[in-house]
Amino acid sequence: MRIGILSEARAVRGPERSRGRMYSMKINILGTATTKFGELWDISPRELAREAMSGALRASGLRPSQIDALFVGNMLSGILGNQTNLASLIVEELGAQVPAFRIEGACASGGLALHNAINSLNAGKYKTVLVLGLEKMTDHSQDEITSALSAAGSDEERMSGLTFPGIYALMAKAYMQAYNVSEETLAAVSVKNHYHGSFNPKAQFQSIITVGDVMRSPKVADPLKLLDCSPVSDGASAVVITSDILIKSKNPVTIIASEVATDTLGLYTRKSFTSLSAVVTACQKAYQAAKIKPTDIDVAEIHDCFSISEAIAVEDLGFSKKGEGAKDIADGKTTLFKGKIICNPSGGLKACGHPVGATGIKQIVEITEQLRGTAGRRQVKGAKIGLTHNVGGSGAVAAIHILKGSAI
Amino acid sequence: MRTSPVKLWRRQKDTIAVIGKTGKILLWTIIRVPAKTFTDQAPYPVVIVKMDDGKKMVGQLVDFAKENLITGQKVQAVLRRLKTEGQEDAIYYHIKFRPI
Repeated sequence: MRIGILSEARAVRGPERSRGRMYSMKINILGTATTKFGELWDISPRELAREAMSGALRASGLRPSQIDALFVGNMLSGILGNQTNLASLIVEELGAQVPAFRIEGACASGGLALHNAINSLNAGKYKTVLVLGLEKMTDHSQDEITSALSAAGSDEERMSGLTFPGIYALMAKAYMQAYNVSEETLAAVSVKNHYHGSFNPKAQFQSIITVGDVMRSPKVADPLKLLDCSPVSDGASAVVITSDILIKSKNPVTIIASEVATDTLGLYTRKSFTSLSAVVTACQKAYQAAKIKPTDIDVAEIHDCFSISEAIAVEDLGFSKKGEGAKDIADGKTTLFKGKIICNPSGGLKACGHPVGATGIKQIVEITEQLRGTAGRRQVKGAKIGLTHNVGGSGAVAAIHILKGSAI
Repeated sequence: MRTSPVKLWRRQKDTIAVIGKTGKILLWTIIRVPAKTFTDQAPYPVVIVKMDDGKKMVGQLVDFAKENLITGQKVQAVLRRLKTEGQEDAIYYHIKFRPI
């Protein structure tokens, strides 16, 4: 190890020198698992973690002793579960007393945990690690959850009585005004995701809904209605990743890019209310690292915490032209069996459920299954390259991962 | 969790500096499912305001009629009680906006 503390003079040179350097990632996903997502009142956080971790280990064909470290993505264990040493709690359930870290970044906690795990592999510190995303939400009342989730916002937004749906409602207003988009067009996002969820046995909601159902559902924060919003969920997802070329996988999926970017914590001071700059920055870096274009993506898991989020996301990711995201989704351009870039085959946050810390890892689990050709009834035919889009807060942080399969 | 009275005290000079200033509504929403300490006020509108000095602010809209809920509506920053505190808490005053 040679780690220096930079003096001022050298700190100026440091970042410039390293900017152009491109690491070549060779990280394989060995095994994945996810619990059912939903209102799991009879299952404790420990049990959720155990199920996901043992499932991922079994799928990788590894024993707990072959894991070098554990990374846990979780947002609310401190605020709701009164537990701020979560990684140490979870590692008890792994069956090997390895270094364990809890990573928190609101709803992007899962994506950030994976990014940190990948960094540790790229640094050569560990070779094989397990990444768990976990959240237990339904033990608590709606107003407690609303307060806890708004902890991801800025002080000013919280003091104004803004909620998380409220912040996205403001984005929806801005988007609808700027591009002349109707509430019905936005509603099509939820309709599409429920349709996809109907093919996913792990999804919280497996029922089909109509635009009328969305329009008739109670308002949460105008113009967003209940069925524009992802639900409150429990769940855990896990992946085992390795940089060890000696560990062979029958059907390897490789992570070819992992990027994170940030923006201001609050929405209200930003220049644009219809684009998330953290997403734009992270995905551009990711496309560059993976040496691909947005149109090379076959399948993507999008962070649709609200219908408006997916409309903005497909534009920020370069799948749709600015202002046409919602229309493209409504036209079926991202729908299973008919679209070109299939978005949220799992049902997304809306239908599959949104246990916040688990979501970023569940997205990786879904894309891995899609690229292995093992996604069953919701299989995207011939999917070769997939992307995950995981956003924290109202776009204060975004984690983008690009995965490549070898099945085809 | 309780809001620390120290935190309130630290913030008050920023709050005082804004009272009386005016601006225009950029965006608005109506919160119908609020956080715990705001439940007795719901439903209530929240607005993003572009102040005359160009700075953006966010806050609740008070003393309003339905027709005030439009982009471009002129508003003024006023000092109001923020939310419902617990019995032991300091009462929290903060900026809200009213149409003018």
